[in-house]
Amino acid sequence: MYTPYQYHLKNQLNEIIEAGLYKNERVIVSPQGAEIELETGQKVLNFCANNYLGLSGNPQLIAAAKAALDDHGYGMSSVRFICGTTDLHKKLESKIAEFFGTEDTILYAACFDANGGVFEPLLTSEDAIISDALNHASIIDGVRLCKAQRYRYENADMEDLEAQLQLAQEQRFRLIVTDGVFSMDGNVAPLDKIVTLAEKYNAMVMVDECHSAGVVGRTGRGVTELYNIEGKVEIITGTLGKAFGGAIGGFTTGRKEIIELLRQRSRPYLFSNSIPPLVAAAGIKMVEMMTGTNELQDKLHRNSAYFIEKMTALGFDIKPTRSAICAVMLYDAKLAQDFAAKLLTEGIYVTGFFYPVVPKGQARIRVQLSAAHEIEHLEKAVNAFKKIGKELKVIK
Amino acid sequence: MSYSAKTRNLYQAQLGDIRNAGIYKEERFIHSSQAADIEVEFPAGAEIMNVINMCSNNYLGLSSHPDVIKAAHEGLESRGYGMSSVRFICGTLDIHRELEKKVTEFLGTDDTILFPSCMDANAGVFEAILTSEDIMISDRLVHASIIDGMRLCSAQHDTFKHSNMEHLEEKLLLHSDKRIKLVITDGVFSMDGDIARLDEMVRLCEKYDAMILVDDSHSTGFIGRTGRGTPELCNVVGKIDIITTTFGKALGGASGGCVSGRKEIVDMCRQRARPYLFSNTIAPVIVSGVLKVFEILSSNTERRDKLEENTAYWRKGLKDAGFILKEGESPIVPVMLFNAKLSQDFSKDLYNEGIYAIGFFFPVVPNGQARIRTQISAGHEKHHLDNALSAFNKVGNKHGILGLTKEQIVAKYGL
Repeated sequence: MYTPYQYHLKNQLNEIIEAGLYKNERVIVSPQGAEIELETGQKVLNFCANNYLGLSGNPQLIAAAKAALDDHGYGMSSVRFICGTTDLHKKLESKIAEFFGTEDTILYAACFDANGGVFEPLLTSEDAIISDALNHASIIDGVRLCKAQRYRYENADMEDLEAQLQLAQEQRFRLIVTDGVFSMDGNVAPLDKIVTLAEKYNAMVMVDECHSAGVVGRTGRGVTELYNIEGKVEIITGTLGKAFGGAIGGFTTGRKEIIELLRQRSRPYLFSNSIPPLVAAAGIKMVEMMTGTNELQDKLHRNSAYFIEKMTALGFDIKPTRSAICAVMLYDAKLAQDFAAKLLTEGIYVTGFFYPVVPKGQARIRVQLSAAHEIEHLEKAVNAFKKIGKELKVIK
Repeated sequence: MSYSAKTRNLYQAQLGDIRNAGIYKEERFIHSSQAADIEVEFPAGAEIMNVINMCSNNYLGLSSHPDVIKAAHEGLESRGYGMSSVRFICGTLDIHRELEKKVTEFLGTDDTILFPSCMDANAGVFEAILTSEDIMISDRLVHASIIDGMRLCSAQHDTFKHSNMEHLEEKLLLHSDKRIKLVITDGVFSMDGDIARLDEMVRLCEKYDAMILVDDSHSTGFIGRTGRGTPELCNVVGKIDIITTTFGKALGGASGGCVSGRKEIVDMCRQRARPYLFSNTIAPVIVSGVLKVFEILSSNTERRDKLEENTAYWRKGLKDAGFILKEGESPIVPVMLFNAKLSQDFSKDLYNEGIYAIGFFFPVVPNGQARIRTQISAGHEKHHLDNALSAFNKVGNKHGILGLTKEQIVAKYGL
């Protein structure tokens, strides 16, 4: 049976290659950090990781993970409700709730699973989900798995959100869903305005803080801190796989009853292992570090401001951003790929993004800043951008 | 923002219903490593008890194996803690590739792609490779993650009665006009422990020009003479187009899963499977542990052999005591109690005797099919099994069900 299908798949794969959309993976042979080593032996500066706080190779997290390996072993070989819950899982859940000023937290294997499993247990066909058009793929999949009525508003467009809220008035409950920081542009959701509209139209709010937790807000509590509305959002989802150590794991934190119901009904929670104990232990250490000092956030904010200022001065077209994501707009897909390839020869590792990841004609290089970057790393990157930008006639 | 009293009340009422129906899931907190002997706090705040674990997926006893832990330590040293990236941006390490190759060799397939979990592998595989012109024909008892994957796929969907080959054949005939026909089954079914009839399924797939996907999560590492899973047991190695499996059960038990099979299918998943493209892959430290697991499994069959012996001993002991079991060969041994409340009381009494085993009831299993699902491990020694057997005996006696038929138990406790 496989032969005709194989032919069909080969054709499809060729189409992907011809369209220039084939994803090749670069193999890394070192720990994640500002400087990494590729399989080719080349050492490069990494400007495309979600390693915002530089914790991915942090010695304290590694020590915490090692200690947990010694006293809680390697795997649990079970889902939470059978025999896969350790004291470390409970402790991390309460630490995360404390950190965000919420009532309770539930851990997932990934934020992809948190978003995939949050809607179906909470909402039925009587309810409405009102979702930002640029929300992450995992939110889209979660919404697809839920029977609620779907409404969509243009990215961060409050007039459109209001119009959709008016349309959704006939449903029983309304849930507005937004990313905190949108991963491709780096813009922050106008959560203050969203909350005002939610009050006016009697809706709940869910925000995905994957690219904002640890990054946005004076102490890294995310967009609710930025807008001074901590504790006012019903549901926050977030990840341990980006700023917070970068291994794996996600969470949903918010209202007590919501979290309790998810524990009973959320399919990725019930039917898949939680994070292993060593990841829970590193997570606990991470929250403790965050609570003790703002050093890393401060450095990240300084690095982001520096880089954006220099790039803007050079004449690059940068998307307005309030996060550690800096989208350098090149518009043309091939140009974005050539630019990234040339930067790599200069020792700067970035990725070009183009359709379908971003809209057609909106190709870009997405630079992600990190607290792991030192000033000389930033200077080197800016100089490389300057050199290639001139070479490719993107800047004068 | 408007978490109104109405909303709160609705959710509280739903939670009340779950409690009243007796199906509220209480978690027990484990303070030790996963193993035959564990330290448990249950209920929350209670004194920690040392109990024997009879309900984990730690089939090979590798979840806290010293060599695996040592390999994880080394992984942390050489590759750090997290990658903070998806695979195709900057989240691919040499050891991810190495593990993919190792799995491919072990299962005898063309290629392998890692996922953060087998839940994600199953959730992502169908949509990546099938369209509305195609049909998925699945066994009615496949795992929840396969069901979610199918829900996310635009291909048509039909089911066949559990392990019923005549019914599968009917469905293959019925859907003979579809472009791609994909037959989908678990290798070992998690609630009953029975094994899919892969030899017959492969024969039917060949006859009707269909492909086959097997989720071998409850068999990779120990089913089959050398632990290659249900395809080995059924003599169809190399004939299964797609195998999905997990590292979260027998293979160390931390996290991670994969899709292994035909080269183009794996390649297509790398380009299109959403949980692969939009979520971190397995953390380096976990990869290091799984690589060590495969090294252990490839060197000899000691562990799966011991598991087989333990399972035979356990089944015989329970049968001799007069329990009704679901027949089968896998280390999943369901002790049938039929009544939901009885299964919960039984589980609590076992716990007081130092035995940790959970009762399963509707909706996890069909109504009137409540049970204690025991799972045997190569980490169990004879004394663990003997202790557990005497506890089962004692609690069975207490409830007066030893030697009774199903009808007698139902007459006594109801359904």
